Amino acid sequence: MLSIKNLHARVEDKTILKGLNLDVKPGEVHAIMGPNGAGKSTLGYVLSGRDGYEVEQGSAELDGHSLFDMETEERARAGLFLAFQYPVEIPGVSNMEFLKASVDAVREARGDSALSSAEFLKLARVVCKQVNLPVEFLKRGVNEGFSGGEKKRNEIMQMILLAPRLCILDETDSGLDIDALKVVADGVNSQRSSDRGFVVVTHYQRLLDYIKPDFVHVLSDGKIVKSGGPELAKELEAQGYSWLADHPDEVPAE
Amino acid sequence: MSAWLDMALNGAPINDSLVSQRQQSLALLRAARWPNRKVEAWKYTPVRALEQIDYSAANQSTAARGVDAVEGLSAIELVLINGVPQAIAGELPAGLQVRALSEGEAIAGELFGSVKPSRHIFGLVNDVLAADGWVIDVAPGVQIETPLRIVYRTTEAAQAHGRVLVRLGDKSRLTVIEQAEGTEPSMSTYFSEFSVGVGAHLEHYRFALQTGAAMSVGGCHVLLAERSELHSTLVGFGSDLSRLDVDVIHGGEFASAKVNAIYLLDGRELFDLHSTIEHACANGTTEENVRGIAGGQSKAVFNGRIHIHRHAQKTLAELNNRNLLLTSGAEINTKPELEIYADDVRCAHGATVAETDKGALYYLQSRGISRSQAQIMLNFGFINELVDAMPNAALAQWLRPQLRARFAQMGDA
Ligand SMILES: Nc1ncnc2c1ncn2[C@@H]1O[C@H](COP(=O)(O)OP(=O)(O)OP(=O)(O)O)[C@@H](O)[C@H]1O
Ligand SMILES: [Mg+2]
Repeated sequence: MLSIKNLHARVEDKTILKGLNLDVKPGEVHAIMGPNGAGKSTLGYVLSGRDGYEVEQGSAELDGHSLFDMETEERARAGLFLAFQYPVEIPGVSNMEFLKASVDAVREARGDSALSSAEFLKLARVVCKQVNLPVEFLKRGVNEGFSGGEKKRNEIMQMILLAPRLCILDETDSGLDIDALKVVADGVNSQRSSDRGFVVVTHYQRLLDYIKPDFVHVLSDGKIVKSGGPELAKELEAQGYSWLADHPDEVPAE
Repeated sequence: MSAWLDMALNGAPINDSLVSQRQQSLALLRAARWPNRKVEAWKYTPVRALEQIDYSAANQSTAARGVDAVEGLSAIELVLINGVPQAIAGELPAGLQVRALSEGEAIAGELFGSVKPSRHIFGLVNDVLAADGWVIDVAPGVQIETPLRIVYRTTEAAQAHGRVLVRLGDKSRLTVIEQAEGTEPSMSTYFSEFSVGVGAHLEHYRFALQTGAAMSVGGCHVLLAERSELHSTLVGFGSDLSRLDVDVIHGGEFASAKVNAIYLLDGRELFDLHSTIEHACANGTTEENVRGIAGGQSKAVFNGRIHIHRHAQKTLAELNNRNLLLTSGAEINTKPELEIYADDVRCAHGATVAETDKGALYYLQSRGISRSQAQIMLNFGFINELVDAMPNAALAQWLRPQLRARFAQMGDA
């Protein structure tokens, strides 16, 4: 469903992605790990079309449609979802208004009928509960004053409400306490299905104990330098990334 | 110096019971400098457009259109059409007296010019030319639950001047909504003066929603007696010329003033808000929050002065002005001025001008929300707090769709 080929992209005048390839099929969960600054978040931003992130070469298709021909909102409506590493605070805009506007837009694009305010409220309450956020959070400004963990749960809530085709979770586990980690993982697992794909960016093996990936990739200096099964995450946890610096071209034997 | 002024003053002043006050103002007006770039209070606000309307085309007999009601608000409607009071429907509650200015009641002579400072040049014009208006008196101790809605209607090519004088007796309570609209070429001056008695409470709104070629220079001037309270909400759109001067004078101790102002400009509009808070007595409190958004090629001017007099110890005063600049063609001139002559006071003031938060825009878009809708949501988010703070929920409900429509239009620019 997601097919990225030879992607080169830059921020300002610095090339960050340098020939990245990735294929995600429906039902698969791919974990991406890699050192700080490798370009993991950049990949999410480029795919979702953030201003200032420029594609130099290569392609990315979601269900056969070129993402780079679409506006950010069109990509979301086509089923791309990015859970942000740093969710944005928007004081003055209530979480409820935001969630409703977003669900309305995505449903409309899919040709689904609009939900009434009452229907939506009911749905939002259920999902709030699912991610263990008090319903009062619906009334607060978007992420305004939310703790780090609350912001991440709010991202998962949005993901569940929008029912996307492909979910990119950028360090959704960072800053979570043990219980919240389980809540987030349960949220993700509840959404796993044979027609949905996941790209989970994480630094920690721990998350992958809860969300069992089909593939694990190492992203370094703008490229996927190694791919493997779940066992690769365990090796990385043990070895770190120093082998990348010492022998950038030689990856350790499995 | 101004052909408009010469034309407007032709035959003035009006020979009524206020004639001596009018003559005084006329003398001040003749001695004053007509607004231009070198006059500090008018530095950013040209008044040339005044000269460009053909006022001879005015059709003074324009039939009185009905006033659109505000859903969910039952108010006493006080309508001025080109400054002329219309009949009041229904009975007034006990303890409330409303008269036309032209009825020449003694109270009009007492209130006229008693609160409004004489430095406002168009205030002087209004002194000389406002033949009529409303005089409102609330008896001491009376709580008027039903809001008074004063509608200023100006017809095409008209020049209209109206005056509103309000007295709140000690420990009384009143809500006054001043509302002006219009898009057609015209020039109006509407000035209101409020004398708020000891322990009285005034809830006040001024909606200066003229746009297009409907020009207006007006003012609201409030004198607070001891322990009285003001809660005022000002909302302005811009037009070829739209200017509002607001004065709040703490004339007794322990008075409190809360002033919230919003201005939203688009196209080539101009809006200029000058506010002055005078803390002339001790232990007063002022909290003023002003938010503005300017799009297109518009120009917003905000001048917020807080003046704490020597004896006004223990004053608490805060003035905050935040602005959002939507385009590089728009202009926001903001100037908070703090003058403090007492030593034991707590004051804070600040002004910021920011652009739309790109990160927030992207975040909303990444959730499927279109860029234009995202921009509307962010604009609304910027001023929502002040709309929510309006004590009258029906009025806030009435205002929201108008703001939404305005944002939608601003998005197109
Ligand atoms: N606006 C920018 N201008 C210049 N460089 C940038 C800009 N934004 C990001 N970068 C750089 O791009 C590189 C990749 O950043 P990115 O956020 O994608 O890393 P990451 O792999 O997500 O790291 P982390 O694990 O720390 O989240 C970093 O070196 C970063 O400093
Ligand atoms: Mg990152």
